[in-house]
Amino acid sequence: MIIVVGAGPAGLAAAKSAASKGCQVTVIDSQPRGGGQYWRHLTAVSGYKSNRSAAYLKELQQNKLITHITGAQVWSAEKLGDGYQLNYLQAGVEKKISAQKIILTTGAYDRTLPFPGWTTSGVMTPGGAQSLLKGHGVVAGKAIVVSGTGPFLLPVATALAKSGAYVEIIEAQSPLRWALSPLALLLNPGKFPELMHYASAIVRLKIKVSFGSAVTEYHSGVAQVSKVRSDLSIRKKNIRNISADVVATGWGFLPDVTLGGILGCAQTLDRHETVVFEVDKEQRASAQNIWIAGEATGIGGADLALAEGAIAGLSATGSRIPAGLRWKRLTKRLFAKALQRSYPVGGGWQEWLRDETVICRCEEVSYQEIIESVQELGAEDARTSKLFTRAGMGLCQGRVCSRNVSDVVSGTTKCAVSRSERLAASNRPIAAPISLGVLGDGIAG
Amino acid sequence: MSNEISFHFNGAKFTGAAGQSVAAALIANGERELRRTRFGEEPRSIFCGIGICFDCVVTINGVANQRACLIEISNDMKVESSL
Repeated sequence: MIIVVGAGPAGLAAAKSAASKGCQVTVIDSQPRGGGQYWRHLTAVSGYKSNRSAAYLKELQQNKLITHITGAQVWSAEKLGDGYQLNYLQAGVEKKISAQKIILTTGAYDRTLPFPGWTTSGVMTPGGAQSLLKGHGVVAGKAIVVSGTGPFLLPVATALAKSGAYVEIIEAQSPLRWALSPLALLLNPGKFPELMHYASAIVRLKIKVSFGSAVTEYHSGVAQVSKVRSDLSIRKKNIRNISADVVATGWGFLPDVTLGGILGCAQTLDRHETVVFEVDKEQRASAQNIWIAGEATGIGGADLALAEGAIAGLSATGSRIPAGLRWKRLTKRLFAKALQRSYPVGGGWQEWLRDETVICRCEEVSYQEIIESVQELGAEDARTSKLFTRAGMGLCQGRVCSRNVSDVVSGTTKCAVSRSERLAASNRPIAAPISLGVLGDGIAG
Repeated sequence: MSNEISFHFNGAKFTGAAGQSVAAALIANGERELRRTRFGEEPRSIFCGIGICFDCVVTINGVANQRACLIEISNDMKVESSL
């Protein structure tokens, strides 16, 4: 039996390809339904080619070789003989499952940047707005500003507008940056109809789009838009106000590397200094009998995740990887690199902050407190600043703020964030909080 | 999404559709504020919406620190703002 952690595109592709070779597969996922964060289907709202998911979800439900464990939060993992044991919480009860081989497809979550007003009700991530809409049938607001950078803003904005909201897109980068990546565009001709799909939806739904701008402040239902440079520093402050009850803001994605980190899988930094897993040509991680596919090996979208997942599933069953699948992964990886080139996230956002702007949402630590921990208490890195201020020590374990705290400390000390600090900031001893009572009961049982 | 579920939030009665999360059902009812923060007593709502950020934690049937964005509503569920 093979355990696949995660039921998004990569996990579903891995399960399908492993089962096609006659192998028993258990897919374990935290959501009540399969599909992951990208393929959510409670309502009829759909993105470009999201009908692709139907075949995979059908496989998940109907293939007798595939078992699907839902609503299960894997909170820790450990080595067991030549395999692994995963400990998970399901409806408040601690359970475990073990297998010789594991495929990790733990996905990613929205990267966010702080700005004055970002903690007020109404500011959320594009992923949050998407999940409300597609997962729960709720339109986040009446007038929604979708801001940040990257192609994910497009399906979110068009889906919200289709559901009746007034929507504006504020994209920080210029589309002309795509000229930096001619080969990736040439090798991915399928991306042009996708772009046209969204472009025509934007025109049809009368969505206003601005480039080279960002929402740099939000209060009392008003989003203030500033002109920004490609490093996100301010070119011209407050050029325009938009009345909005929701600001959906996201700056690309951060892979969830916690579980693989606990199991000792080697990690590295991508060109954005984002922590990702190192995998070989067959998606094998450095730790024995672990494969990793999808966003956790580098942000690349559903197409790349499907190719990587299929390869991981085949490799885990000892099967040959067809050349066509390797070629597909290569072209999608080139496209993923082009995405990074086109939608960089520079450090200029620190110009948006006020002294009192909260950086760590859980522990309510302000920009000024972090600066003071460096200038007055002598903190030289985020770890030391965290010990003085508690930034990153709340319930989310620094998933939201740790990277931003590192950047603020580095902006104050004028020393670049070290590789080891980046790696350490993305890793945590447990994958989700668990109460000692449940933990105690679990061990006793 | 036909089945209607009724639940309580800070003592008041609300209804939502079967399969909706606590946060989604409350936002659909116009209740955006899910809790106040410990130190600044600032209102907080849903933020990441996928169980990462813990901004939306509430007490559900007496169990504290439950993520309102992940847990589905059920009949007679008692949801309270955590502090």
